[in-house]
Amino acid sequence: MLNRRELLRRASWLTGGALAAPAMLAILQSCQEEAKASFEPTYFTPAEAAFVTAYVDTLLPRTETPGGLDVGVDRFIDKVMAAAGPRVDTPGDFGSGIRAMEEEASKLHGRAFAELDLAQRGELFAAAEERSARYNPQVWGTAVGEQPPIDFYRSFKSMVLWAYLSSETIATEVLNYDPVPGEYNGDIPLSSVNGRAWSL
Amino acid sequence: MANYNIDADKALTYDVIVVGSGISGGWAAKEFTEKGLKTLVLERGRIVKHVEDYPTMNLDPWDMELRGGLTPEEKDRHYKGGRSGFIGKDTEHFWANDRENPYTEEKPFLWIRAHQMGGRSLLWGKQTYRWSDIDFEANAKDGHGVDWPIRYKDLEPWYTYVEKFAGISGSAENLKQLPDGHFLPPMDLNVVEKSVKERIEKNHPGRKMIIGRVAHLTEPLNGRGTCQYRNRCSRGCPYGAYFSSNAVTLPAANATGNLTIRPFSIVQEVIYDEKAGKATGVRVIDAETSEVIDYKAKIIFLNASTLSSTQILLNSKSSRFENGMGNDSGELGHNLMDHTYRVGAVGQVEGFEDRYYKGRRPNGIYIPRYWNIDRESQSDKFVRGFGFQGGAGRGGSRAAANRAEFGAEYKDSLFAPGPWEFFITGFSECLPYHSNEVKLNTDVLDKWGQPTLTINAEWGDNERALNDQAQADATEMLEQAGLTNIVSFNNQHEMGYGIHEMGTARMGRDPKTSVLNGWNQIHAVKNVFVTDGACMTSSACVNPSLTYMALTARAANYAVSELNKRNI
Repeated sequence: MLNRRELLRRASWLTGGALAAPAMLAILQSCQEEAKASFEPTYFTPAEAAFVTAYVDTLLPRTETPGGLDVGVDRFIDKVMAAAGPRVDTPGDFGSGIRAMEEEASKLHGRAFAELDLAQRGELFAAAEERSARYNPQVWGTAVGEQPPIDFYRSFKSMVLWAYLSSETIATEVLNYDPVPGEYNGDIPLSSVNGRAWSL
Repeated sequence: MANYNIDADKALTYDVIVVGSGISGGWAAKEFTEKGLKTLVLERGRIVKHVEDYPTMNLDPWDMELRGGLTPEEKDRHYKGGRSGFIGKDTEHFWANDRENPYTEEKPFLWIRAHQMGGRSLLWGKQTYRWSDIDFEANAKDGHGVDWPIRYKDLEPWYTYVEKFAGISGSAENLKQLPDGHFLPPMDLNVVEKSVKERIEKNHPGRKMIIGRVAHLTEPLNGRGTCQYRNRCSRGCPYGAYFSSNAVTLPAANATGNLTIRPFSIVQEVIYDEKAGKATGVRVIDAETSEVIDYKAKIIFLNASTLSSTQILLNSKSSRFENGMGNDSGELGHNLMDHTYRVGAVGQVEGFEDRYYKGRRPNGIYIPRYWNIDRESQSDKFVRGFGFQGGAGRGGSRAAANRAEFGAEYKDSLFAPGPWEFFITGFSECLPYHSNEVKLNTDVLDKWGQPTLTINAEWGDNERALNDQAQADATEMLEQAGLTNIVSFNNQHEMGYGIHEMGTARMGRDPKTSVLNGWNQIHAVKNVFVTDGACMTSSACVNPSLTYMALTARAANYAVSELNKRNI
């Protein structure tokens, strides 16, 4: 797990912090027939992949700008996780984090996360937001201050945001892309760059 | 670029051998070759040619398979160095392999190494500050360590000399604790930094907040281009805009025709001739073939990096020097120092929502030391002092992950820059403690079957007291400047995180208590010089690289004059 955790941290979000990991294998298995991921997972099980796809689509839906699925956030996360080494299920990893979310979906609504409507998903998010610690600020790539453990929910959200904003489409077509600024100007109107951030 | 001559002639006796090609070794090579001396630079890693060996210099995140993330195999090669938080796919190839080059931490110590031509000059932070006499006199005044054999006036012309060639941007401030140098135009503070500067300097008379002084070109120099504000420095700069051996000193040395640089050459020891009373050369293991080769020279400069130069001396045993060359004092390997790291405060700055910046400035702000610089600023809690680095910028996706929303509006809000954040983090001076030491470890051998180093070092009470003050001061400065959501921090990193390791072969006036004299010569072996961080007698609180450059140029020119006088 260490390698995966290190890899995740390098990409500027944190994993760690244990969520209870009850045995929800039966529920996950029952979901597998209905699983509708947008990709063929390498790392995730089909049911987990369906969760990831649904989660990404809920957090970052398509509007006038591309959504998370449009830029392949779900499949990219699967790729990153697969590249981080062989899967070892331990408390606090993404597998058990997803299981816990699915357990809650099942308990409250009797269905898998991917089959909930938007309001029901929002309900689950609200509960998770309630109990999930926040990231401390970083200085030069490392969290500072007393950083409480970051659970699956927050680290997964952070990972999805990173995967989205670092995608070529968002970075070059939606955000301001300037690989060679050529100068430093410490005071420009935000309006001069359409109110949007630099991507790099 | 011209090719480097990498075919060292075994039979040939060189005028000079320089061990290592990093910041100080590059300077030694330049000085000697320009003086007409045939110079052999021994580099333990591979050749890294400027520009053509910077494979990642233009990659965007999506050009990399994992957008900068490392595979487990890559991670494993840096299982120690990774602690720094700096190693990603974009620079992984410039950090040493920890598996092939083990070291033992008796107490936790992060030893960052870079085993290729250019060494850590490719990866350094480029903050460049002169020391002042407050620093050079400190040991003599408060009694910690031994007195420096030199003062600011000895080094001042050499600071100017290296600054003119390296290219240092900065602002003249007329501060006695931080002497001005020969500066290219300073980089700009951004709008929020300017505002915070005003507030801090108004609230705290005697404290200054300035733009960092850095080895980045803000004007063209000697054919090198200016900084393009990409902030991809550690991958190697295609414009040659920051100072590295690869872009600056080694090409200059190469242009003389007097340079041979032999890669994959791990120097094991300096060979001592009892009769002559001096060194005759060095013994090398070829990293690729494991062949053992001796090279000879009249002058030997050790620039392998602080701990590696000391390791070579510890391993250079003879009947004259049973405990390592130049170790008559018993101080070789002792008095290891670093700077403390990540202690300060971070907060948000209200307002300025409609302001932004263009360019990714590879630099930040600096708050020079203000404790113990005169009678008024004396502390009763600690000696010496600290300075702060920091900066202001607008936050990104990390802050967004903390927000509870989701969906369309949330997504669209991600495209705007986040709130303004400002941080400062202190670098405290570390005293030279005899008990902070490195020694040879013959139980743990490296890939080539050679002894490794055991490091046994830790912060003392004075560093802890400095850090407590730095944290309190940082928090107070941000609070009084009206920042919000302030997080005060002291990450309590072990030694080594500053990547400013210094000492272990210190300069001094007395051969009984020091390894090197005021010219960086080993007291008892006059043709061996150490001019990297190992030579440092104290650590000051400012970044040390500029001082290594100046000491090296000074010592090299002295060595040439001594050679000409037939004194060595």
